Amino acid sequence: MSDPHRDVGAATFTASHDSARDDAGLLRRISQGDEDAMAWFYREHGRVVFAQVLLVVGERALAEEIVQDAMLAVWRGAGSFRGESSARSWVIAIARRQTRDRLRGHRGQRLRVVDDAFLADQPGSGPGPEVMALDRAELADVRGAIGELAPAHREVLGLAFGSGLSLPEVAGVLEIPVSTVKSRLTAARTALNRILNEKGQNR
Amino acid sequence: MNADPTDTRYPHLDLEDLIAGAAGQPIGDRAREHLASCEHCQREANRWNLVADGVRDLAAAAPQTAQPAQPARPRRTRQRVPAGPWRRALLVAGSAAAALVLLVGVGEATGLVHVHLSGPGTQTAFTAVTGCSQLVQADGTLEQVNGSSLVIKTASGQSVTVTTTATTFVSMSGALLGDITDGASVMVRGSSSGGVIKAAIVTVGQPFSAVNPAGFVPVTGTVSDASTAGFTLVTSSGTRIPVATSGDTLVVVPHASPGQLQIGAAIFALGHAGPDGALSATAVAAISQLPSGPHLGVSVKDCSPSSIDEAVAAISATPASAS
Repeated sequence: MSDPHRDVGAATFTASHDSARDDAGLLRRISQGDEDAMAWFYREHGRVVFAQVLLVVGERALAEEIVQDAMLAVWRGAGSFRGESSARSWVIAIARRQTRDRLRGHRGQRLRVVDDAFLADQPGSGPGPEVMALDRAELADVRGAIGELAPAHREVLGLAFGSGLSLPEVAGVLEIPVSTVKSRLTAARTALNRILNEKGQNR
Repeated sequence: MNADPTDTRYPHLDLEDLIAGAAGQPIGDRAREHLASCEHCQREANRWNLVADGVRDLAAAAPQTAQPAQPARPRRTRQRVPAGPWRRALLVAGSAAAALVLLVGVGEATGLVHVHLSGPGTQTAFTAVTGCSQLVQADGTLEQVNGSSLVIKTASGQSVTVTTTATTFVSMSGALLGDITDGASVMVRGSSSGGVIKAAIVTVGQPFSAVNPAGFVPVTGTVSDASTAGFTLVTSSGTRIPVATSGDTLVVVPHASPGQLQIGAAIFALGHAGPDGALSATAVAAISQLPSGPHLGVSVKDCSPSSIDEAVAAISATPASAS
């Protein structure tokens, strides 16, 4: 929605402590072979995990395979969940590893997709002409431009804004410091601005 | 928050606040107050919000057909299992039960497999939603708010737990004039007379996507001089328009949190039925009052987030007198 009437001040959602508690219970049931619990866990998290993986790999069939593998890992390894992170960040981290393994195995040229060093410490620029492109952009433009970002940038944006994870949780999934998450987000936005700017100039 | 020596209203919001705000997570009161009055931070927040909206829009669109259907005990189906990854998964699983669970899960996600709720006693509080077989609805009066979970009592006296997540749309509407505060971004719809808008509907914050009742031209701006009788709407061009409100003015807050909902409010929830009888909500709307009769009939064009948004908007923008 590109409405300029955006309520920038509204904190619209709150974290779900109850669902965290429920997830721990679900995972205990899954570890005991409860299929209903597995189906429920899938429905609670599958969509977000799928969207995140799809954002990174860009291929629906491959994303489905990866999510399937990740859920299989959950089914097999639910007993190893120690509750040190949220269940969602745990399953996303599993899916991320599955993604890395899959791409390493089948698409050597894509190894850099989830290379932690990739653009991690690129300094973000302050507001400039490219930011103005973002100021003028419509939501559809932004959506399209996100699809053109480097996978590492799509990944961090998806985790920060599409998965319901906090910044420390995003850092945990990516196995990088929070400060690097922030610099990567800023770099992603800068790249997004650049793409939007280029598109604007080509119109 | 960061200090900016060029701005006497520092400290500005730091990146963590901006990202948290765009991600829909709570930000501190001080940051919120600063944001309400700092154009620099508002511009930055708008940029991050737009990026976040783009991500969420992509995420919502991508699994649109991949949205799992009703959670259910995995059952054998007669659907054909495609070759390739599905067959491979079955082999890899090594456990027929696990494979079946996953197959159903992903099958639901891809529309290849259709399953139906099987939990006895979990359906009575829910009714189907026309236009999207994956969704059910529940409505009733709000009895409890436990963090992100709500307990509502239906017209038949049944208590239903409604769970929300960070991605649940939570909205409220009614005679919520107290939510119109100085600095708030609003959209006003109403009739104009003598240079004053008599507000019929005031939407606080980012409005729903599409609904605009016939006969009203929306005017947007920022609230100033809010009182019980009205406020001044300051448009982006700086024009100041007096707005009169009354007990008949419907105030809509499209993006609220469960904690803002008032006990006793009429609640309409849309989502997926869980095996434990709870409703995992896609959208929750606290509305002026429920209509008479057993249920509020809801239909959506399809299962897409925009359709759900539109349906909830229509419900929320309907004054009690018209419901």
